[in-house]
Amino acid sequence: MDLLLTSFIRALRNADVRVSTAETLDALHTVQLIGYEDRALLKTGLSLSLPKTVAEKAIFDATFDQFFAYRQSRPLDSDESQTDDARSEQSGNANQPGQGGAAQTGASGQSAQRNEASASIDLPAAQSALGQLLMRGNAMEIDMAINAAGAQANVQQIEFFTQKGVYTWRILDAMDQQDLIQEIQDLEATHAIPPLRLAQELTRRRDWLREQVRDYVERQFLLHADVTGKRLRGDLLRNVRMGRIDSNHQKAVRELVRKMARRLVSAYSRRRKVFKRGQLHVPRTLRRNMKYDDAIFDLHWKSQKVDRAKVFAICDVSGSVANYAAFMLMFLYSLDEILPRVRSFAFSSGLGEVSGFFADHEMDEAIALTMQQFGGGSTDYAQAFVDFRRLCLDEIDKRSTVIVLGDARNNNADARGDLLKEIHDRSRRVIWLNPESRTLWNTGDSEMRHLAPYCHQVEECGTLAQLERVISRLLRATS
Amino acid sequence: MADIPQIAASVASLQRALETHQYICSEQIATAVYLAYHLRKPVLIEGPPGVGKTELAKTTAAMFELPLIRLQCYEGLDEAKALYEWKYGKQLLYTQVLKQTLDEVLQGARGFAESVRRLHEFGDIFFSEEFLEARPLLKALRSENGCVLLIDEVDKSDHEFESLLLEILSDYQVSIPEIGTVKATNEPPLVFLTSNNTREISDALKRRCLHLYIPFPDIGLEQRIIHARVPEMPAQLQTQLVSFIHALRDLDLKKVPSISETIDWARTLLLLHADRLDPELVKNTLNVILKYQEDIDAVQPELRGLTEKALGARS
Repeated sequence: MDLLLTSFIRALRNADVRVSTAETLDALHTVQLIGYEDRALLKTGLSLSLPKTVAEKAIFDATFDQFFAYRQSRPLDSDESQTDDARSEQSGNANQPGQGGAAQTGASGQSAQRNEASASIDLPAAQSALGQLLMRGNAMEIDMAINAAGAQANVQQIEFFTQKGVYTWRILDAMDQQDLIQEIQDLEATHAIPPLRLAQELTRRRDWLREQVRDYVERQFLLHADVTGKRLRGDLLRNVRMGRIDSNHQKAVRELVRKMARRLVSAYSRRRKVFKRGQLHVPRTLRRNMKYDDAIFDLHWKSQKVDRAKVFAICDVSGSVANYAAFMLMFLYSLDEILPRVRSFAFSSGLGEVSGFFADHEMDEAIALTMQQFGGGSTDYAQAFVDFRRLCLDEIDKRSTVIVLGDARNNNADARGDLLKEIHDRSRRVIWLNPESRTLWNTGDSEMRHLAPYCHQVEECGTLAQLERVISRLLRATS
Repeated sequence: MADIPQIAASVASLQRALETHQYICSEQIATAVYLAYHLRKPVLIEGPPGVGKTELAKTTAAMFELPLIRLQCYEGLDEAKALYEWKYGKQLLYTQVLKQTLDEVLQGARGFAESVRRLHEFGDIFFSEEFLEARPLLKALRSENGCVLLIDEVDKSDHEFESLLLEILSDYQVSIPEIGTVKATNEPPLVFLTSNNTREISDALKRRCLHLYIPFPDIGLEQRIIHARVPEMPAQLQTQLVSFIHALRDLDLKKVPSISETIDWARTLLLLHADRLDPELVKNTLNVILKYQEDIDAVQPELRGLTEKALGARS
């Protein structure tokens, strides 16, 4: 199996491009067909077989450039064995910005002089395998050796930046640098001119190789470790109570919520036809079979199209759930993108519709506006239900789902369960999502026990993972 | 007969061959055809309307001199219309006509069991190839020397139809219960699927295809396209026209003009004997490139500025 390609695909997967095994095989066939020589062609070819959406194509482009960038790094200094066109290609590449570019040109100038001086002396052939490889100076070959050694040293598992040195050393070891060092020492011990020259040349090339390997490890670190960290963080964040998530992780959370929403969108955005197999659609069957002289050949079954539910979401943004409110609203906003017919409401004491904010503004702005207008007050569920009833009870019918997001803490006032009952009776489902953990329900001023009977479903929803589960169950119930 | 292996020998030769058929394309598109031919994979083409998705399939068919079989997708398309159907009418007619023969066959048969046994000796004549009405997909599989199969606007079809395509796209075969599995002839069809992205195509389908996204072309490419399609166009006007269209695409419009509309507009201007753009001319012909009244209204006030900018453009 092609190691370079598989590690590239691994990097792609880390960057959130979904690549299946079948697609890996396709990519492999593509590479067999077009080869690695023409980089532009390789990129186009792989971009046809690996990424499958426009967004993925953008990620692919970036990852490809990053992954294959090290091939453009500083070439090995010129030497006599190389042909003229290889050299001209090198001088083209030498313009690449690299670390210490000025120092490098100086060094190459020197070495060129040195090489001119030594041109008359034939260097003896290097003995160790690595020495021979370096003396051949074929950048492609060395690249492949570094890659193979990297795979042997499991460089893909690098996780922390402190490991870079270790991995560089391990890769060099895997390339048998010990033999090379030994050879250089032996050569220096001989005191004859040609072996000394060779020792010099080998040392220079070894330093160059070390730099290459360091660059390689650096890149592997960027491609693998950073993303592993991100995924780890994602997994952690998903299971942390939303109220406790640090504000500096907010951006990551928002990205997660949005990703979750996107996944849900693609899974549920279809209007499905449900075939009730087994129930004959008599009129249609008769009509369709008229052309066969009423012999019933072609049976038609009853099918029905399931429309997506109308969703009404009510979100508590009062002081007691202030920590959660931002997440709840963030989630509502994402929900708005999934289900086209979501009407969102927010309340602390009075309730009002916020669908307009969500439609007209970006997420941050919409949340800020909502908090500004409705947030901060003390909770009054009774008032909220009264307002909700006034605003849109008429529109709630048997296809509507009402979601209430809140902790049901009503400051010891009557929460008017009877109003919720009215909503319950008219709608298809009432779902209560409580950010508090179940053990805290019904303690203190929590009214859960008075409100829960009028809900079809009551769920704890304190972490992103729970939220995701609830929503996917909700969508399954409605589709 | 076109020499297909020769045309498909390299990406560059494909690009040239497409160009000789008036389809000017980027290297990406040529690579897609190249891979599709050599890997025998279907190509799923996405992109805004009017960038030449369907045209690519048509041109490929013309270039390879292969027949083009087209299946237009719509909601409610099912296997009876896409794959195969039994010729019920013919079956009925034959049973009527053959009634007498049947009587003869059954003559002397004693009892129900024997009659059925005798009927069995004749096999499933009524469910054989002669009574099979091949629809586009089956036709494509059975075409002798290969063909180009275009499944147009696959996003318009139902979810169930997509699943139906899976077997055909991955193995170039299809299972018909009464007959068995029909495999493609030695030359499987080149398959192009197009989608306007009205809904997300399932992962299973995407996995089986190469994915080609055709964006709007850049100015240079579009000029070459216009030059190929409307060669009589004066070079100066062509430059102005293309840069005007590109300026329009940057505006916030309900439907931005596509390549096909650029070509239409070029033909219109040619018909009007125009040799350069001027605001009055643009205003009168705006309905060729903009298809919504609100877009036309939005562009009207900026017409003069846009035109002048386009006049300043150089090829």
